[in-house]
Amino acid sequence: MNILEINNLTVRFGGLTAVNAVNLSLPPHQITSLIGPNGAGKTTVFNAITGIHEPVAGRIVFNGAEARRPFRSTTAIALTFIAIIAGVSLALAANIQSLWETAVTAHYQYRQAFPWRDVCASVVAYFADNPVARFVWPFLVGALLGGGAAFVVWQRSRRAPEIAARAGVARTFQNIRLFNQMTALDNVLLGMDRQLRSRFWHDALRLPLFWRERREAAQRAMDGLRFIGLAKEAHQLAENLSYGHQRRLEIARALAMDPQLLLLDEPAAGMNPAETRALMELIRKIREHGVTILLIEHDMRVVMGISERIAVLDHGEKIAEGTPKEVCYDARVIEAYLGKSHEDVPTT
Amino acid sequence: MSGGEVLLQQLIIGLSNGMIIALIALGYTMVYGIIELINFAHGDLFMLGCFCALTLVGALGLDRMAVGVGLAVMLVVTPLFCGGLNWLVDRLAYRHLRESTKLAPLVSAIGVSFVFMNFGLFWGGLPMKVFGMGKAAAAPKDFPLLVSNENLFGGSAVQFTAKDLMVIGVTLPLMIALTWFVKQTRAGKAMRAVAQDRVAAQLMGIDVNRVIGQTFLIGGALAGVASVVSALYNNSIYFQMGYRAGIDAFTAAVLGGIGSLPGAVLGGLFIGFARAFCDQYLATRWTNVMVFAILILVLVFRPSGLLGAKHGEKV
Amino acid sequence: MNRLHRLRFHWTFLAVIALIPLVETVFPHQRHLGELLRPIFIMAILGLGLNILTGFTGILNLGVAAFMAVGAYSYAILTCDIYPFQLGFWGATGLTILIGLTVGLLLGLPTIRLRGDYLAIVTLGFGEIVQDVLKNLDTITKGTQGINPLPAPTFFGYQFRPDRYQPWYYLFLAFVALIVLLNRNLQRSRVGRAWISIREDELASACVGINTMKMKLIAFSLGAAQCSLAGALWTSFLGSSGEPGNYDFQISVMAVCIVIVGGMGNIGGVLLGALVVSGFNSIVLENLTNFLKAHELISTTSVLTVPGNWKYLLFGLALILMMRFRPEGLLPSRQTKAELHPASERDSPA
Repeated sequence: MNILEINNLTVRFGGLTAVNAVNLSLPPHQITSLIGPNGAGKTTVFNAITGIHEPVAGRIVFNGAEARRPFRSTTAIALTFIAIIAGVSLALAANIQSLWETAVTAHYQYRQAFPWRDVCASVVAYFADNPVARFVWPFLVGALLGGGAAFVVWQRSRRAPEIAARAGVARTFQNIRLFNQMTALDNVLLGMDRQLRSRFWHDALRLPLFWRERREAAQRAMDGLRFIGLAKEAHQLAENLSYGHQRRLEIARALAMDPQLLLLDEPAAGMNPAETRALMELIRKIREHGVTILLIEHDMRVVMGISERIAVLDHGEKIAEGTPKEVCYDARVIEAYLGKSHEDVPTT
Repeated sequence: MSGGEVLLQQLIIGLSNGMIIALIALGYTMVYGIIELINFAHGDLFMLGCFCALTLVGALGLDRMAVGVGLAVMLVVTPLFCGGLNWLVDRLAYRHLRESTKLAPLVSAIGVSFVFMNFGLFWGGLPMKVFGMGKAAAAPKDFPLLVSNENLFGGSAVQFTAKDLMVIGVTLPLMIALTWFVKQTRAGKAMRAVAQDRVAAQLMGIDVNRVIGQTFLIGGALAGVASVVSALYNNSIYFQMGYRAGIDAFTAAVLGGIGSLPGAVLGGLFIGFARAFCDQYLATRWTNVMVFAILILVLVFRPSGLLGAKHGEKV
Repeated sequence: MNRLHRLRFHWTFLAVIALIPLVETVFPHQRHLGELLRPIFIMAILGLGLNILTGFTGILNLGVAAFMAVGAYSYAILTCDIYPFQLGFWGATGLTILIGLTVGLLLGLPTIRLRGDYLAIVTLGFGEIVQDVLKNLDTITKGTQGINPLPAPTFFGYQFRPDRYQPWYYLFLAFVALIVLLNRNLQRSRVGRAWISIREDELASACVGINTMKMKLIAFSLGAAQCSLAGALWTSFLGSSGEPGNYDFQISVMAVCIVIVGGMGNIGGVLLGALVVSGFNSIVLENLTNFLKAHELISTTSVLTVPGNWKYLLFGLALILMMRFRPEGLLPSRQTKAELHPASERDSPA
């Protein structure tokens, strides 16, 4: 089964169609590159996959399941529950002063025991007295608003970035987005966050699980840094690292998520040839660990050097797909990069 | 009064109040559209405008002159004052924070709001007759009845007073002029350009800081006009009134779609009507809660407002 | 070394504060400094609650006074003998914290997704309507009368009294220390890390798999709960809930000042901020007013001579100047300082 299937993906921003009916399939353990001139829509595809942009059409299927929160029976139950609670709350709130009077003021006598059972009876009686105005209307309005709000909020959160992360997709960004004022180690620990088990109470009360997990997590994070070659910089602030190290740290953070699919957005940007070679080695090493890789790159050495397949985008549409050799001789690709008037075919 | 007459009356009241709120909301939305800052101090600027108008009345004896003269003087000086003050605040406090995090300009705006409030308090203590000779600085001040309460509908139960006419007569042409300004003039186009894409506007040679300053100037002037109209309509001002006005105007701006000028007007009218209806058919003490509920509902169900566009974040 | 220094600041600070009443018993004074410090403790708890939201997570809450009011009135209703509950100090305080948590959750659920500045205005509006609601529901809250009198707390049989301030002092101090401990634990843990990552770069945080909405909601509710606790403590000491108008915007802005002036995200900074801002408000201004009154320098016709009338101006200027010149606060946390002064402005060791 393909790790990632993108069918007919279309993303629009206002009047601009950034991605138009793109199809892409990624078999597992393969390195695929996504190339194209600037503005072709490559990063937009990444953003759609990771839930940052909502597509207007098309499906993104990850390991056979669509990368959005499904509408299950539990969702319907939760929404109904919220609606009921909201309705009851509004019914109580709308009548609160009268309720207080019938329940508390009427029954309470100074320094005497409070007749709790009678109170319940009088509350019920209060509502039974004029059920439509006092209960039914506020309940309906509350249920509608509460349920509606919950539904709207749920709907908007269906394709949040967390969903993609949970499904096993990790990414780096075109302009490095590290947590700059945290150490390299902390950045990697944040990548691992989803796998940590300590909850609020463990942290607040410093329960044993907190201490145990802190040690284990730090060790695993150091392993991750060692894998990427940044073990010495573990306690440096991310913003103080060199540019090349920062790019590697971003990859380390993404790997800490234990992803099945890694999206790399121009990882070789700004690197010299030696660094580029090291990066290509790293990407191969990552693939050997069983991670599928989708790569956006402009540096043709990297693209041609490590890709097994290449897809080419131009103006939001996929204009070619195939092995590196096939793609670099494709007439449309040449035209997209160089324009119509050139006759020469570039060889890498 | 029959049910229908009550309704009509509420519509009139709602219209007048709504137009005032709309004017304030316009100032909010213009500044937000251009630098994405909610100018917390805008409501308090409105309050200072009211105090300025009262000072003019007291110092120049405008209550003894013809209504038209008084109106003209106030409508020229007060917007200049408010606009200038707004421009100054941008120059001194916000300009340095253009590139900063979202929190810094916000907190500065809160600081400015507080400073304005204190100015209002001090202003109310001025030893002038209109301010009660400085005896109770914090107390609300009466604003003289320059525009009369005379019912233009004659003896009918429904009242459409000279005040209502004044409100409409001032705000409507102003809004039309503003629309013309934003759509047709170069300065207006520059504003729209900076609002859409600041970097691109700079690349086109637009002096962004100057345009932003102009926006603050115009937004402040709008608040100034609103303050004159409001003071003449409500006949009472006090130094904490900016808070309420600010929240109402912000709700209106959000309801209409923040950044959208027609949205601000629409939102203002909606809030005006809503307040009038709530005052009449529910209870005045719950009106503020209702406005807040409207705000929450809009922000949950349609955060971009009725006429606004969706924002996205560029990754 | 720097970290060590900052690590210990809030504990040394609290230790010093703890010694003050003991010092005073040795050197008796007419006005007890300890008495004056009590409102500062309350503001410190308020500030720490706001710090979780603003300092750690980056959410600006301009209506903390509303949660304080919720806490105050909950406590009053739960302890006053005009109502049947009469829970006593500990039970009422515990329940009040839960109520604060719930109210924070209720406000947060529909609004936590909003952008920072919108959320700020929503909290501002909330601050005002809570006052209105409390005033309007006067069968329950007794409107502007407030709910009183309230019984003083008991601690293992010892009954607190309004005339001896030391037990109150230590009670409040104990609460402050507890809150500091809790906040500190959270800051240096998985939860705190997630919060700070949200403040630094919310999008990247979400892409890394952190459930940003849940974390923000936790921060919001926790902050609300702490502010409610502050309200409950204040009410228990006053013996009355006070009137709704007491919990107004002034308190919210003071809390914001405390966090901003003291140092966003730094617990020791918030404590220092509480001392500076709240201390200025209750000690300096009050003493100045008394001094001027004694020397007959205050006149009823000149609004400028009453020091209390300068409060808004000074708080506002404090915020503006801090944002302009030292946005990280007096005692910055490492993160905030670096965030607000980009690397190009500083020397970087690497």
